[in-house]
Amino acid sequence: MAWRNIWRNKMRSIIIILSIAIGLFAGIAVLALYKGMMKSRVRNVIDSEVGHLQIHNGRFKKDYEPQFILANGAGVLKAVSKIPEVKLAASRSITMGMLATPTGSAGVQINGVIPDLEYRLSQLQKKIIKGKPFDPTKKNEIMVGGKLAKKLKLKPRSKLVLTFTDTAGNMVSSAFRVAGIYQSDNAPLDEKNVYVNINELNVLLGISNSFHEIVILLKNDADVKKIQLVLQQKFPVYQIDSWREISPETDLLVKTVDQYSYIIMFIIMFALAFGIVNTMLMAILERTREIGMMVALGTNRIKIFLLIFLETIFLTLAGTPVGIFIGWVTTAYFNKHGLDLSGMGREMMSSFGFGTIIYPEFPADKISGVLLIVIGTALISCLFPAIKALKLQPVEALRR
Amino acid sequence: MKIMNTVIDAHDVSKIYNKETIPVFAVNNVHLHIKKGEFTALVGPSGSGKTTLLNLIGGLDNPDSGNVFIEDLDITKLSANQLIEFRLKNIGFVFQSFNLIPVLTAKENVEFIMLLQGIKKSVRDARVKQLFREIGMDDKMDTRPAQLSGGQQQRVAVARALASKPKFVLADEPTANLDSKSASNLLDIMAKLNKDEQITFLFSTHDQRVIDRARRVITLVDGRIVSDTAAVSTKHENANVQK
Repeated sequence: MAWRNIWRNKMRSIIIILSIAIGLFAGIAVLALYKGMMKSRVRNVIDSEVGHLQIHNGRFKKDYEPQFILANGAGVLKAVSKIPEVKLAASRSITMGMLATPTGSAGVQINGVIPDLEYRLSQLQKKIIKGKPFDPTKKNEIMVGGKLAKKLKLKPRSKLVLTFTDTAGNMVSSAFRVAGIYQSDNAPLDEKNVYVNINELNVLLGISNSFHEIVILLKNDADVKKIQLVLQQKFPVYQIDSWREISPETDLLVKTVDQYSYIIMFIIMFALAFGIVNTMLMAILERTREIGMMVALGTNRIKIFLLIFLETIFLTLAGTPVGIFIGWVTTAYFNKHGLDLSGMGREMMSSFGFGTIIYPEFPADKISGVLLIVIGTALISCLFPAIKALKLQPVEALRR
Repeated sequence: MKIMNTVIDAHDVSKIYNKETIPVFAVNNVHLHIKKGEFTALVGPSGSGKTTLLNLIGGLDNPDSGNVFIEDLDITKLSANQLIEFRLKNIGFVFQSFNLIPVLTAKENVEFIMLLQGIKKSVRDARVKQLFREIGMDDKMDTRPAQLSGGQQQRVAVARALASKPKFVLADEPTANLDSKSASNLLDIMAKLNKDEQITFLFSTHDQRVIDRARRVITLVDGRIVSDTAAVSTKHENANVQK
């Protein structure tokens, strides 16, 4: 009966069903876009910034003092590389220093890397926008980020001086020449990080073949916790951090955006609720006499409420599969072809750590939550019309 | 004192509108006894209180004074929810404008009350078939009200009122919207059901054809009973007994 009642006024019902479908589509599109953005951000963090896991001397990350190397680092690196779940493990020497040019200076994190491994680990080679990768035949080459290069007016082959302290606490300076300028999807990181050859940095730091960091890329994202535990048991003296601990802002962003997307969904459905309330109120007012008659015949108030509730639920749920389907089709298309957000500005997107091409992903894991919101909306929307119907006195209703 | 076989027993019932301004007695100190199996017409000019009295007897409205007993139960003491339950189990209603549920078929409309009462499907089906046979509409069971004529709709409404075998049926101007042929046909059906199933009918009407068919006629004017053919009959019966 509730289902048949919906179709008494076909046009009105179709309009509200379409509104729900469009609202739901909009909500799913937002969820899909956020999911795509977050996935892209997490991939950036893992694949081109910090890897899945990192191993350090427990005291190193406090002040980045160069003396806190990984003792027996080579042995640890070898053992880590042998773990079947590990795709790639690479060493880095790291120190904090000052980069100076004739036009200015900036504090930077100097990363001593093995170029071939780093190209695979953080895709450094792919990020080069000017100049060339490290040339094995040349000495003292440096790779700087686009934002820093712009700030200090650096070009390929520009000369600069790096100053930092060695393990003995002595100030060390050395001149480097820019080999290439890279640009990632994370502008703040580009401004802060420079890359030099690990051997050259180690000589200056006085740590010979040692290093400060092992970066690990796993074959599967899902293995992070498991391998972190394995490494902690195997190397209890070292600090083993996952990408979530190294980049807590990304983890927080993912969690916050999840809640944020639900809030947007709520706002959309809240707006839709007014449309549903209006439709249901009209339906009730048109049927005052009929509802009065039903009460006169002996239909109790629970059944009247159920009738209105079911009508609202059916009206709401009728638009749900349509909205989900349109959302799925649209998401699938953009998931394949990508959604170009360069119109919003590459700089703006990269300042938040996002690329300009987003691949939205259908939020299948959130569909049950979305359905709950839809049903909740229907329930809330039916309350006012239902109360109106329940207040009807049969004698008065029958007179109309 | 309760009269034997009395289904409806209204004691000194009054209903007043506009109490705050100029009070209007829609029903004024009415005493009414209807026995089981009666076929009674409530007549009177417009505004004489026929519908109000039916509403009070049917528990759709509360009197300002007096009591309405249905068998031995004073329905003026029942709460709104108890009244709904009471109406469902005891009273059949026929309205002037049919009031069938438009989205249900004729069969579903008749079945509606039995569904509310939780009657088993097999019992429902048998009763629906029997009633449609009695109203002569076996072939219209699956038709929606909009596809039925006024007379057919009112026959379905009568079948609906009788579906759960109520103690009595209240019909408010049941023939008002019908042509003479449909009205006559409906009255035949009501009279037959009254006779066959011993169901008490109390209907308000202006229609002389209906009044002519009633076995008892109660006339209301300004909310008061001014004549009741049952009283006349009783007097005649008493006189005959004395002779």
